[in-house]
Amino acid sequence: MPDYGWLEQEKLPHALPLAAPSYPPPPWPLPGARFLRVTFETEREALLRWLPPSLMRPVPPYAQILVAHYPESPVGPFSLAVQSLGARARLLVRSYSFEAVTDSQQALLALREQWGFPCRLGEVELRAAQGEAEARIRVAGRTVAAIALREGRVIEPETVRFDPILNLRMLSSLQEGQPPPYVAMAQIDPAYTIHEAWRGRAEVSYPEPSEGAPWHLVPFRGPIIAVHAVADTELPYARFIVPFQT
Amino acid sequence: MKFGIFFELSTPKPWRPDSEYQVYMNALEQAQLADELGFDQIWAVEHHFLEEYSHCSAPEVFLTAVAMRTKRARIGHGVVLCLPPFNHPIRIAERAAALDIVSGGRLEFGTGRSATWTELGGFGVDPDMTKEMWDECVRVIPKMWTQEAFGYQGKFLSMPPRNVIPKPYQKPHPPMWVAVTSPETAIQAAERGLGLLGVSVGTPREYEERVNEYRRRIRECEPVGEFVNEQVNGVTFMYVDESEEEARYWGSQLVRAFAALAAQFPAVSAIYPTPLYKVPGLLFGLRREQEKAQERAEATAAGTPGQGARSGPIREGMAIGDPETVIKQMKLWEALGMDRMVFLLNMGEAIPQEKVLKSLRLFAEHVMPKFDREAPAAKASAKPAAGAQKSTP
Repeated sequence: MPDYGWLEQEKLPHALPLAAPSYPPPPWPLPGARFLRVTFETEREALLRWLPPSLMRPVPPYAQILVAHYPESPVGPFSLAVQSLGARARLLVRSYSFEAVTDSQQALLALREQWGFPCRLGEVELRAAQGEAEARIRVAGRTVAAIALREGRVIEPETVRFDPILNLRMLSSLQEGQPPPYVAMAQIDPAYTIHEAWRGRAEVSYPEPSEGAPWHLVPFRGPIIAVHAVADTELPYARFIVPFQT
Repeated sequence: MKFGIFFELSTPKPWRPDSEYQVYMNALEQAQLADELGFDQIWAVEHHFLEEYSHCSAPEVFLTAVAMRTKRARIGHGVVLCLPPFNHPIRIAERAAALDIVSGGRLEFGTGRSATWTELGGFGVDPDMTKEMWDECVRVIPKMWTQEAFGYQGKFLSMPPRNVIPKPYQKPHPPMWVAVTSPETAIQAAERGLGLLGVSVGTPREYEERVNEYRRRIRECEPVGEFVNEQVNGVTFMYVDESEEEARYWGSQLVRAFAALAAQFPAVSAIYPTPLYKVPGLLFGLRREQEKAQERAEATAAGTPGQGARSGPIREGMAIGDPETVIKQMKLWEALGMDRMVFLLNMGEAIPQEKVLKSLRLFAEHVMPKFDREAPAAKASAKPAAGAQKSTP
């Protein structure tokens, strides 16, 4: 019999990403994070066009933009903005990430490769004071989205809910003309300890639509609510893998 | 314990030109048979925009048709969304009184405030205002029914003295209820002397604490109406078949169709942070239970019907099974002291009409006789409201 190699899956070549990732593994503790989240109604067709076949749209269709600033993380401070689509996986409420921007090169790799956020490098600005909060998201010098909370008032932290996140993860094919060998969604359920929260009227605009960062493809069709919160949170391991197809 | 049925008028896609017509006609046929078989109440919900899940946005019209086809069953108008942007309180009082008249004094009047953003957002209602709106409505409506010149200056309703007519056929007025999905609402029902209309699909154990607290609190109530309605009404699913296996198959279809259709609509609590909607209500609650049930089913072998744990989407307390199983499940509710149980018979037309009718017949023939149903369906407390007449409709 010829001799076969002895390599075990747990002992991969040292330079491959699994054995030598360019970023710390999960979980990432993220204490003292500040969030501005707007929830708004959008168009049925926009959701159906971008949701995977295993997810269903809610009635009415809605979306969220969450802008977060993390003053502490394993890769230092960074900000993250995520535009997500309201969805249902089987029967449960989920938030499917559609576009994302971070301002940290170090966080970018981990957010994309480890957690599957559809992330680009850009600028994320979040300001909050006296019951008002605003955020702007820029990519390649264009303000692709701007959100705000107006006429805010303090609310009980326990009334604020964050839905589990679904991020698409795909392995690109190295065979010409072949589909990706792996397509699925990772469900990420960060825990939140919310210290303070306000709620107010939501505003959403896409001042400079960009084909390269198409946040405007999820149109604003009416406000639901805006929330600002300060919380300790984390980026944990994925809790479930959700199939792409039904 | 008495038994009834309720309708969501669920109309699944793909919609044909006659889809809604067929669902309405099937429901009317079920209502007529239920009345003939001795079911005590027939309820219809009020929902708006909940496509596929419920096409019952004008329940007073549907219930008028029910009243015309039935003779004995109480007509459950509920819950009426008691929020002025949905229904002006004067119009609620007028329509309910008219329905009481045409039904020959068979009306049960359920009140509520909606739990979905789909509905509240559609009518432009601030979720923070709904409790106050509902409270004002349930206080003025019985006065409109009983006073010849009713005038009022409130936060959401103001009107000069007028005689709101017609007056209900039942005197002083029909029994009043409120939809209860949380322990807080159960207490508020009790404090106002309103019947507890459970709209959460829960197990007997989950209802127990809520019912006990309600019973305790209602002894000290200040009723908003002319009399206290201290009944407790639970809801669950029903499908009865001679074969346990067949019953479980179709019953599972029913429960799964309900959960899948309900899942489309964002509960207020899931999307809009407010202390007034801490409990997500019927829709979310059932989805969560469905998830747990699926996890349980995957983790353990199938449960034994009638002996506590039940498998798949079928939970303890559901009227799903062969007659013997369903009797055992209903005995759990009876032991809890429920006055009434009402059943959802179909959802998304998941069960063929002839099977729904057969299920009703089997329940009436085999299950009903095992329960004491002698007390009048519209039992009301002998305790009169402060300054109000003592009356039992």
